[in-house]
Amino acid sequence: MISDLLYRLRALFHRESVEAEMDAELRAHFEHLAEKFVLSGLTPEEAGRRARLESGGLDQIKEDCRDAWGVRFIEALFQDVRYGVRVLRRNPGFAATAILTLALGIGPTTAIFSVVDTLMLKPLPFPTADRLVRIRSVIAATGNGGVASYPDFLDWRGRSHVFEGMAAFRTNDFTLIGAREPLHLQGAVVSAQLFSLLGVTPALGHGFLPEDENPAATNGSDSVILSYGLWQREFGSDSSVVGRTIQLGDKPFTVVGVMPQAFQFPIQAEPIELWTTIAVDTRGGARAMTAQRGAHYLDVIALLKPGVMIERAQAEIAAIASALNKQHPEVKARSARIVPEIQALIGPLRTPLLVLLGAVGCVLLIVCATVANLLLARATGRHKEMAVRAALGASRQRATCQLLTESVALGLLGGGLGLALGLASVRMLVRLMPVDVPGLNSVGLDARLLGISFLISFLAGIFFGLAPALRVSKISLTESLKESGWGSGSGGKEHSRLRAALVVSEVALAVVLLLGAGLLIQSFLHLTRVDPGFDPHHVLTFQLDSPAGKQDARVPAFFREVVAHMSALPGASSASAVASLPLTGDNIRSSIEIEGEPTPMGSRPSADFNAAEPNYFHTVGIALVEGRDFTEHDDSKSTPVVIVNRTLARRFFPNQDPIGKHIRPGIGNGYGPGEPPMREIVGVIGDVKQSDLGAEAAPEVYAPLAQSPFGTMFFVIRTAKDPRSIVEEARHQVVALDKNAPIFHVVTLDQYFAQSVAGPRFNTVLLSGFAALAVLLACLGVYGVMSYMVVQRTHEIGLRMALGAEKRDLLTMVLGKGLKMAIIGVGIGLVGALGLTHFLASLLYGVRPADLLTFIVVSVVPTQDSHTHAPAGGGGLGQSSQAPECPGAHRVFVGSAYNTADAR
Amino acid sequence: MGGERIDLPQGTLDLLILKALALEAQHGWGISERILQISSDVLRIQQGSLYPALHRLERRGWIKAEWGTSANNRRAKYYELTRSGRKQLEAEESAWKKLAAAVGQVLGTA
Repeated sequence: MISDLLYRLRALFHRESVEAEMDAELRAHFEHLAEKFVLSGLTPEEAGRRARLESGGLDQIKEDCRDAWGVRFIEALFQDVRYGVRVLRRNPGFAATAILTLALGIGPTTAIFSVVDTLMLKPLPFPTADRLVRIRSVIAATGNGGVASYPDFLDWRGRSHVFEGMAAFRTNDFTLIGAREPLHLQGAVVSAQLFSLLGVTPALGHGFLPEDENPAATNGSDSVILSYGLWQREFGSDSSVVGRTIQLGDKPFTVVGVMPQAFQFPIQAEPIELWTTIAVDTRGGARAMTAQRGAHYLDVIALLKPGVMIERAQAEIAAIASALNKQHPEVKARSARIVPEIQALIGPLRTPLLVLLGAVGCVLLIVCATVANLLLARATGRHKEMAVRAALGASRQRATCQLLTESVALGLLGGGLGLALGLASVRMLVRLMPVDVPGLNSVGLDARLLGISFLISFLAGIFFGLAPALRVSKISLTESLKESGWGSGSGGKEHSRLRAALVVSEVALAVVLLLGAGLLIQSFLHLTRVDPGFDPHHVLTFQLDSPAGKQDARVPAFFREVVAHMSALPGASSASAVASLPLTGDNIRSSIEIEGEPTPMGSRPSADFNAAEPNYFHTVGIALVEGRDFTEHDDSKSTPVVIVNRTLARRFFPNQDPIGKHIRPGIGNGYGPGEPPMREIVGVIGDVKQSDLGAEAAPEVYAPLAQSPFGTMFFVIRTAKDPRSIVEEARHQVVALDKNAPIFHVVTLDQYFAQSVAGPRFNTVLLSGFAALAVLLACLGVYGVMSYMVVQRTHEIGLRMALGAEKRDLLTMVLGKGLKMAIIGVGIGLVGALGLTHFLASLLYGVRPADLLTFIVVSVVPTQDSHTHAPAGGGGLGQSSQAPECPGAHRVFVGSAYNTADAR
Repeated sequence: MGGERIDLPQGTLDLLILKALALEAQHGWGISERILQISSDVLRIQQGSLYPALHRLERRGWIKAEWGTSANNRRAKYYELTRSGRKQLEAEESAWKKLAAAVGQVLGTA
């Protein structure tokens, strides 16, 4: 087998020496033969003549020998490629058109595929990736939520048998106080087991030990593991850092290890710079976050034992969850759901990516049809060539092969150009993409992508070349030789029918894309026209962590001082602070008890809980509908008060004046230990799109910051000019107030707004682009077929004119034909679109796929009328965000800021 | 020269070439001369059949070629049997003998 291959390779690549050997061998034989004749008595001349006679045609022998080498097929291919390239070079116009068209199809396909490949097909960068699962704790009644409480997590881990390990984690903000400037860092609080579960060991030092999780054992100094990047930047790659104590905020931590360079967990847009153990949440006795079964704030990842199916794990964890519900009726009933980790990461991206992949697939099909049409048109001109080849003895198979080679060559050339185009557009894609896409930075050219685009080009070549090739190779010799002068006949007619079919399918595909794009555009317009309930223009925001050295009680005072300084900034018209800013995916949910309606803990309604400084609503432009704003007199010594939004007022106090009524949010206690207080409603504000522009407003409760301290706050400053212009001054002033309080996440409210529609925008822009491309190509297709038909029927048209046909009649005849194709195409496209666009349903806001037909009519006359706001499916890329919720959590959120949104 | 011409049955040429090489390495001319001799001038292998067959056998790995010098001091391409070629020869030889015997029997009785 191998010697056979070597032999053939030698025949192929050492062709000259093999040929020379053959020549020498045959010459030797000839000489022997001549010698033999001389020996038998002939003159040398006579002997040579006889020998030649006896040997037969030397060329034929050589051909037979070459056949024996077994490389004929490949040689024929080379020949075809050479010939094909020659043919293409002789028709540069045709070649350029075809190659460009192909590049337009293959480029976007490559780009989208590379994104899909990176995000959905590549395994997670952990050795144990295929067995990693996410366990979500959701409210049984609604399916909302996703994060778990620590006691639940411990019970899941203790009672289950299908997992090799289970770890909880959340992200957290830290401030590194070092020799240099205090530095804000994104970190994660994790179970000690996490790293061994992921199968990753630190590059330096060791991972967390089980006892690191236990606050009693850590002696007041928790363990911390640094990221490689942080270690390089801030610690100068000094390996003696292990064992050293560093200060994060106001607490000392002991460095126990440094993770390997590429390690990232949780995988998210903003890199995690350090990891510490859940011990930081365990302090405070019964009020500690980890002590409360009702405080759902942790993500849970687990490693399945080898061979355990996900269904079995799901059954076991579900049983544990329902046992816990029975055991703890005071907490709202929850259920646990297991999804593979990879799916948990890219879940919200799945549908949009598949839709885009389908769209580029459609474009590619249209491109193939267009090029097939071009080839068919050209094939007509090549009838004669093919007939001559057939007459000279070329087999039908050989002719088909040659034509296919030409089209594959076209495909590959187009693919090459397309790949370049695709790579350029991948960059653009990545820039366009919503920020919260994990792993996107690694999108780029690799061997895999190269192989795939080669395969796409090759298959496209075969696909669009097959019909023309089969058609041409089928021509009957005499027919074409006879027909060639006229250019019409039975073959021609069949030809044009095939071309018409191709055009009809192009139109149909274009219509599907167009309608899909139309729906997305309309949905996007709906979304951007939604009133967010606040005015996002000219507002600068930043975050600030409670600085080191400030005791819990002094933190609100410090924050108020910062607000005062910000209001006084030149260019600032007002300033304030809030715990959760709208559209940042940063919400806290709490249970609510209404005065006079005693309800057991487990069945209390819930609302988004927030804390704000006075003047917050005014600063961000939220309408105060009734009552008053907070004042500086609402502090821990005065009456506990609360401001609610209109939705809460309507839902909890229908047909009543909510002002003066009392409610008890389950969290937000600035009054020391004990149950959170009943609070008096002093104001009602308008509804705000807090989590998602597409979502219905949820009930909301605001407490004054002074009565409900938080450790990390968003500061908002309304400016008259460009809000970016005051960033440096703001930073400077805050550092002047406390050198250990670096501001971070400096973003304008406009940017948060834009980010929240980045996903839908991405889908809309891309699909619209593809649709435009599709329509252009389909138009070209119709034009091509029409002009071909007219040329073909020149004689007929001339005859008709000679016989007295009006120009108008002829025009009608030609246009009618084009219109017919278009109408059939549109019809098929509409049917297809109705069938296919329901895949878009989850990406739409304010429109339904069923509105398709209405949309077609409506789109003719642009209208401002907005449809009823149909249930929104959560928007597009990276838009889903769920808030941690803490019904009944009694803790004041100082020192543990919350950025645990599910949207990673 | 001249003599009677016999068309060789399919596959027989390969067998003859292998057999001719069984004793020693030989170049193309030598092979055709040997077959001619042994068959008493009946089997005259034409160049047009011989060389394609040799190249095919070489590709299959049953014979291998090496350049050497012939008796009259000419450079010549010598073919010799490989191990698998020898096995092939044995197999084909016995198959041929069986076939010949069977055909002979049929012809004898009919």
